[in-house]
Amino acid sequence: MSNEHTVKSYEEELQNLKDSLIKMGSLTESQMSDSMDAIIKVDKDSIDKIIKSDDEINKFRSKIDTQIMNLLVKRAPMAIDLRETISSLKISQDLERIGDLSKSNAKKIKPLPLDLPEELLSNLKRLGDLVIKQLNDVLDSYINKNFDKAKIVWEKDEQVDDLTNIAMQSVIDFLSKDKKNLDFSTHLIFATKNLERAGDHVTNIAETVCYLIKGEYLKGSRPKGKQAQE
Amino acid sequence: MNKVKIKSKNLNVHYGQKQALFDVNLDLNEKEVTALIGPSGCGKSTFIRCINRMNDVIDICKVTGKIEIDGVEINDENLDVVSLRERVGMVFQKPNPFPKSIYENISYGPKIHGKGETKSELDEIVENSLKKSALWEEVKDRLDEPGTSLSGGQQQRLCIARAISVNPEVILMDEPCSALDPIATAKIEELIDDLKKTYTIVIVTHSMAQAVRVSQKTGFFHLGKLIEVGKTEKIFKNPDNKMTQDYITGRFG
Repeated sequence: MSNEHTVKSYEEELQNLKDSLIKMGSLTESQMSDSMDAIIKVDKDSIDKIIKSDDEINKFRSKIDTQIMNLLVKRAPMAIDLRETISSLKISQDLERIGDLSKSNAKKIKPLPLDLPEELLSNLKRLGDLVIKQLNDVLDSYINKNFDKAKIVWEKDEQVDDLTNIAMQSVIDFLSKDKKNLDFSTHLIFATKNLERAGDHVTNIAETVCYLIKGEYLKGSRPKGKQAQE
Repeated sequence: MNKVKIKSKNLNVHYGQKQALFDVNLDLNEKEVTALIGPSGCGKSTFIRCINRMNDVIDICKVTGKIEIDGVEINDENLDVVSLRERVGMVFQKPNPFPKSIYENISYGPKIHGKGETKSELDEIVENSLKKSALWEEVKDRLDEPGTSLSGGQQQRLCIARAISVNPEVILMDEPCSALDPIATAKIEELIDDLKKTYTIVIVTHSMAQAVRVSQKTGFFHLGKLIEVGKTEKIFKNPDNKMTQDYITGRFG
């Protein structure tokens, strides 16, 4: 028995939707990576480029919305096709939000001084690297329909929570040393929080990928870091 | 979940040398709609024709195994087929009203089953049946006109009214909307939703969307075998069997 749809154009439409989502995912990943690099290097020249790349991501979101509407109207998808279509809608929403958070972080670079303490930046970098890795892994699990990999991403959000706490603490320590640090420390706190939120969206995507593959939602609540539990 | 009304056990049907059903075990719940889906020739119509022994009229047809209604075997030679068909009504693909008036289409069944002794009793049955089939308001002033003068959708509702006029327990529907336009189809689907409060309904359909809309349970047949049966929601969102998934997603080569 064939795995292809009897109607070839239906097959193509579903494939085009998957391709759009993969491209959107790849753009979101690059944007987050660029945004993170720029923060760590306090590279103010990259800000505009990162903000602009968010427009590209938003365009994909609109394109995916249209593709989904067309599929629902024309094909009334069932079973795996229905899950594929609905999951694309949810994943594209999460990717768009991740894009917004990366853009927001890029905007926070402007007021930062060029001589931020090494420890502060390294803690933020560790968090950023983990979130980027998580995003990369979850997109990989989507492309290869790998349930186990998506579940590992879901479980690893605990580590994102823990690294958020560490990064947050180092900003607070920095702030407490000198009240003059208040202005840009606030920006760093928001940037840290944005990374944690991006991590939450990655977790949502992991849940969606698990549902897409098995048709059931993951049971129980995901493991949470210390701060997130409180 | 409602109690089991109809139970088939190792049901096999042969048309001469050709086997049409293979060991079908299927439970149909009371006051629920069960949809049967599958490609043409898969045995779904053969299955529902076993429930009111319509296959008896085909000489070369041989049915083995069991079908029980309320725990009573209906393939028993001593069972009165006429009274079985009074309990199990049927509606076909193409509306097939008798070439008689709207009134007589409904009153004919109760008359032969001795249910309407007087004119006023029959009037009541006709009115109630037409009300239950959501046709009364459209035809109450023209009951003497021929049934065939109605539109296709109305004719099909007339056939449903005719089926329920003898107060059955089960209604079998063999692609009841395949000859109807979307509005008439919507009316029949709404009617099915209403009728399931009183009757056990089994519907054969080629429309996946219709199966999702009207049924609580769905069975998928292929080449005479029941491949998968389960809650409709489960079958159409996440079926267990790959063949079911391939069929409902249009991947059947």
